[in-house]
Amino acid sequence: MSTAPKSTTQSKTIDYFAIFGLPRKLWIEMGELEQKFLQMSWKLHPDNFVNASEEERDLSLKRSSELNDAYRTLRDPVGRVEYLLGIEGVRKEGEHKQQAPPELLEEVFELNESLDELREAKTSGGDLAALKSRLESAEKNFQEKLGEVDAQLQTAAHEWDAALQADSATRKKVMAKLNELLNRRSYIKNLVANVQKELL
Amino acid sequence: MGRIVGIDLGTTNSLVAYLDPRTGQPKCIPGPYGSTLCPSVVSLDPDGSVVVGEAARRRLLTQPERTIYSVKRLMGRGPADIQDELKLFPFRIDPSSKNVIRVKLGDKVFTPPEISAFILRELRNWAEAHFGETVDRAVITVPAYFNDAQRQATKDAGKITGLEVLRLVNEPTAAALAYGLHEKQRGKVAVYDLGGGTFDISILKLISTSDGDIYQVLSTNGDTHLGGDDIDNLLQAFVHEKILQHDEIDFSPHGELAQELRKALIDVKHQLSESETATLRFPMPNGKVFVHEFTRGALDALIRPVVDRTMGPVKQALADAHLNPTDMDEVVLVGGATRTPLIRRTVQEFFGRQPHIELNPDEVVALGAAAQASILDQGVKTMLLLDVTPLSLGIETYGGAVAKIIPRNSTIPASAQELYTTGVDNQTGIDIHVLQGERELAKDCRSLARFTLRVPPAPAGLPRIEVKFLIDANGILQVGAKDLRTGDQHSIEVQPSYGINDSEIERMLEESIEYAEQDFAERQVIEARTESESILAATAKALANPQSAALSAEERAKIEASVAALRESVSGNDYKLIRKRIDELNHATEHLAELLMNSAVSTALEGRKLAEV
Repeated sequence: MSTAPKSTTQSKTIDYFAIFGLPRKLWIEMGELEQKFLQMSWKLHPDNFVNASEEERDLSLKRSSELNDAYRTLRDPVGRVEYLLGIEGVRKEGEHKQQAPPELLEEVFELNESLDELREAKTSGGDLAALKSRLESAEKNFQEKLGEVDAQLQTAAHEWDAALQADSATRKKVMAKLNELLNRRSYIKNLVANVQKELL
Repeated sequence: MGRIVGIDLGTTNSLVAYLDPRTGQPKCIPGPYGSTLCPSVVSLDPDGSVVVGEAARRRLLTQPERTIYSVKRLMGRGPADIQDELKLFPFRIDPSSKNVIRVKLGDKVFTPPEISAFILRELRNWAEAHFGETVDRAVITVPAYFNDAQRQATKDAGKITGLEVLRLVNEPTAAALAYGLHEKQRGKVAVYDLGGGTFDISILKLISTSDGDIYQVLSTNGDTHLGGDDIDNLLQAFVHEKILQHDEIDFSPHGELAQELRKALIDVKHQLSESETATLRFPMPNGKVFVHEFTRGALDALIRPVVDRTMGPVKQALADAHLNPTDMDEVVLVGGATRTPLIRRTVQEFFGRQPHIELNPDEVVALGAAAQASILDQGVKTMLLLDVTPLSLGIETYGGAVAKIIPRNSTIPASAQELYTTGVDNQTGIDIHVLQGERELAKDCRSLARFTLRVPPAPAGLPRIEVKFLIDANGILQVGAKDLRTGDQHSIEVQPSYGINDSEIERMLEESIEYAEQDFAERQVIEARTESESILAATAKALANPQSAALSAEERAKIEASVAALRESVSGNDYKLIRKRIDELNHATEHLAELLMNSAVSTALEGRKLAEV
């Protein structure tokens, strides 16, 4: 099939935060969010409209799917940041840079070398045990880095919440930081996934 | 408007249930044989009429080429998908099958939704006979792990029957609902559902709110081709091999003898759920009787691989819900196969808790479906089901990769919007391929639909088309598109990859009316005749046996008179009379059956009436 290039323009018209009556803050009280989700589900779910007019049924389908999409997105701390940056126009959907963060370059290079060696050893039947243990410790190392990025992301999220009423330059600075952290996070996550795939 | 029912359209058995307004509890409706289980077997009579259920099940032995069971395994699948099934099941696939499988029954050809529609119609007849009113709407259950095509095929079966399908409900969710009503359960519940042909695991959270109870599914997983059938296949292959070794008789794995062996082995399996040992005595065409002593331990060892295959999905569902086995407050067992002691033990050990088995595992899904049907019908809600989509929805991108746009275990309805534009000037079409599954490459996922977005000619990159993918509350995909520059809604003709289109359904509905026009009494006559055929054949066989010499002249005369009376009644259309004569013959042959039971040849008949042999 001829592939379909995705347009890069955002078209999100629905504000997931607004659905729950929330400001665009990154810290959300999960218990409250769940309560609101359940209350609204009770009103909007298509089960209530089985005998209603087609118009009402369509509307229920639309509103309840938006509610579920919103809950799914906001419940996930990382998905929430991605979504926020998306509606603020900072981040394109599906964006993740494939460049290694400079301070990780050396370790990434080593890791890729080990991965190549393991693949080679798998086909030629070399010594797998030593390579595997090297990769396992590398995986652990990157998992720790992932934890660090998550902690930094949390700090930056607090900064965003504090800057909610601040001037646009300040807000832009925080958003740029969040965006960079997301990119780094997805880069490391990818690395870890690749290692796990080879270790299986 | 007519009545509404809940239907469990199962691989092995199907059931119909309703909410009894007097007790407020759901109840299964029995059929003409008194059982609430309708075997999911369909047989096409040489005269063109269709026989469903118990009568059709008997024909598996006498007319296997006109009879089909386990058709659920074929729902929503293409010919290439079912090659493995064909090794194990006697499906006669018509060579003209393209995207949709067509099955041969005698000289006629049917799609799986048409065959399922015969089963639905039978159940509707049961319900209509019970209410004395028409039934026009239903909630039908499907395995939670059914994909879009399998769900669509089930909905199509309802349409072909002329039933309005108000909702497809996932089987484990329906079971949780039935238990919730019954026991007022709360907290986190794991539902382990091993049916005849499908396995599901669902993790739910039961929440009491001021509005009512919410049954929220947190995650689900499963295998739509794993079930009690697989246990039977293992047993059959094992004994078949033994017979080959010892007696050097080979028989076609799909013929009458194989069906008889399968039936005998299912009995052995059931006995082993109650006792530690059971003996198979299988009379063979060479006059010998194949005898094999089974112990429960040996059965466990044989079926261990099937049980192990269920545990992968169980662990995945828990991981997706971010829960541990010990976090569960309740564990519920559903499906006839969970009567197997090994399965009960395995589940209990895994979760560290005694599973619930209070409700009949064969009926519990239909009971839940009836409860949901009643909720939808009344509009007054005391509870709400929030279910999830079992598989991720994705679209094909560059290089055959898949971009996931709705992850698995998303609460449904769920949607995702994607923006598309053109890559070259004046491009008029954008091809979109929608898939379902967890793998990274399109070729490893399930193709749901391909379609082309029509775009007015414009410079590359200028058109902006927003495509909305929506999974509705039945778990079925809907697609819509909007031109963001003009605001025009595009109507999209989505051709499902494995399915029948609306005009075909229309035609099938018309054809099915031909079949539906036989009224209840007529079907009763057909069933009674089928039954008399088998009892007459069994009597003739028994009378030919040397053991029958011990009958007194009086007894023999009485049997012969009963045979003649039954023969005579069969030529008429009075099914009540035929049934009465069947009972009389059964009574007259009691001593004969006893005599045969004592003989070596008849060891396999033990504990059964002559007519059932």
